[in-house]
Amino acid sequence: MADALANEPLALEVKKLTKVFGDRKALDNVSFSLPQGAFLSIFGPNGAGKTTMLRMLSTLARPTSGTIRVMGIDAKEDPDKVRDHIGLISHNSMLYPDLTAMENMMFVARLYGVVDPEARVRELLRAVELDHRRFDSVRTFSRGMTQRLSIARALINDPDVVFLDEPYAGLDPHAVEIFDELIASLREGRTFVMVSHDLQKGFAACTHAMMLARGRVMVCSPKDELDFDEFKGLYRETVGMGVA
Amino acid sequence: MAVAMKKPSTWAHYVALLKKDLSQELHTKDMLTSMGLYALLVLVVYGAALAQAGSELDILQMAGGLLWAVILFTSLLGLNRSFSHEKEQGCLEGILLVPMDRSVIFLAKATANLIFLLVVTAVTVPLFFFLFLGQVGAAPTWPLMIAPLLAGTVGIAGVGTMLSTITMNTRGKDVMLAVLFIPLLFPLLWACVSATTCVMCAPEGFMDTFVTSMALSAGYDIVMILISWVLYDFVVSA
Repeated sequence: MADALANEPLALEVKKLTKVFGDRKALDNVSFSLPQGAFLSIFGPNGAGKTTMLRMLSTLARPTSGTIRVMGIDAKEDPDKVRDHIGLISHNSMLYPDLTAMENMMFVARLYGVVDPEARVRELLRAVELDHRRFDSVRTFSRGMTQRLSIARALINDPDVVFLDEPYAGLDPHAVEIFDELIASLREGRTFVMVSHDLQKGFAACTHAMMLARGRVMVCSPKDELDFDEFKGLYRETVGMGVA
Repeated sequence: MAVAMKKPSTWAHYVALLKKDLSQELHTKDMLTSMGLYALLVLVVYGAALAQAGSELDILQMAGGLLWAVILFTSLLGLNRSFSHEKEQGCLEGILLVPMDRSVIFLAKATANLIFLLVVTAVTVPLFFFLFLGQVGAAPTWPLMIAPLLAGTVGIAGVGTMLSTITMNTRGKDVMLAVLFIPLLFPLLWACVSATTCVMCAPEGFMDTFVTSMALSAGYDIVMILISWVLYDFVVSA
């Protein structure tokens, strides 16, 4: 059993990741690794490079230099294979407002090649409690419902690693509660990486925490090695540092 | 429990993407309505302008150019809107997360744009004939204009889809698209206007001009669509 765990690839392995826009370094030499099943929360002020990093981890942007391995697969060498293992939940829903929930989900299921797309879509819609609204257009959904559907969309390929980009943006407290419950029910066997401004919630949910400022990692540790008050103090300091 | 998945073929991706664009249009009628209305308004403006021109004006000589001006400007309107849905909610990023050949996104979007443009053209051309050529009467060879209409709309849809992808993240994307689109499309536009005009007027030896113009249009379409297909992955990932 111990051997099996030792042979298991890391969920994420990032080495010397750098992204340059013009003459500005959005990310500077970022390195970290994350075991499978972990939950990493990334904090930092606006412009710290959080979303840029998430975009590179999810293969949506190319690094200027450095390497990313997701589930042991090099993202530069085989981005399509990495895409098989990941899902992204963003503050953008990635849903077509004029299509129904079912049409949106079936579209994504067909793109991924789900063998029985209808069954999978119904299963996910039931999980996010939207099955009864499956024939309604997404435009008629509240922000919370859209976010739930967005979660279902991201899970269509049963990803091993799920990226969450500011998932609480625009959600009311009730929707946040439902969202948290949903994420908690999905934790088993999955790795999560969340970018958030909500220090309290992000820290409570995570197993690992990272603080980014001006494109550099200030702290990246397992949560049990961190003191929340100290972390909060550092967060305040880095927010004071502002945009890189 | 793991979800059973089978990597879809490129054709399956193409069909899924095209079907999504068509379903979206069936729900909203957004593109067809706006493009159709715009074409109609341009024809009304033509009517007002030509009404003052007097009887010496040879409308038949101008018809090809006028018709292509409607098609070109109508297509610009449609192309500007074609990526707005994808951009609005980050939907394009959702598609880019899927393991697939990204050139298929180009082909499917270009096909959808072509279908919308053909539908609008199919309404505009008879209306144009009815309003402006009803009394003059085109040469009996006019049905041959289907060839330049097809070649022209294919080129417009292909090049336009590529350019609207390039400009969708730029500031003033509407103007930027027009600034890039019209000069790049000029050879095709010139060939299509020439082919359309010569089959409508049928002057002596018109077939030579028609064949040359059609060869130029077809060559342009093949080269530009191949370039777009090859470069699309780079453009959409940038």
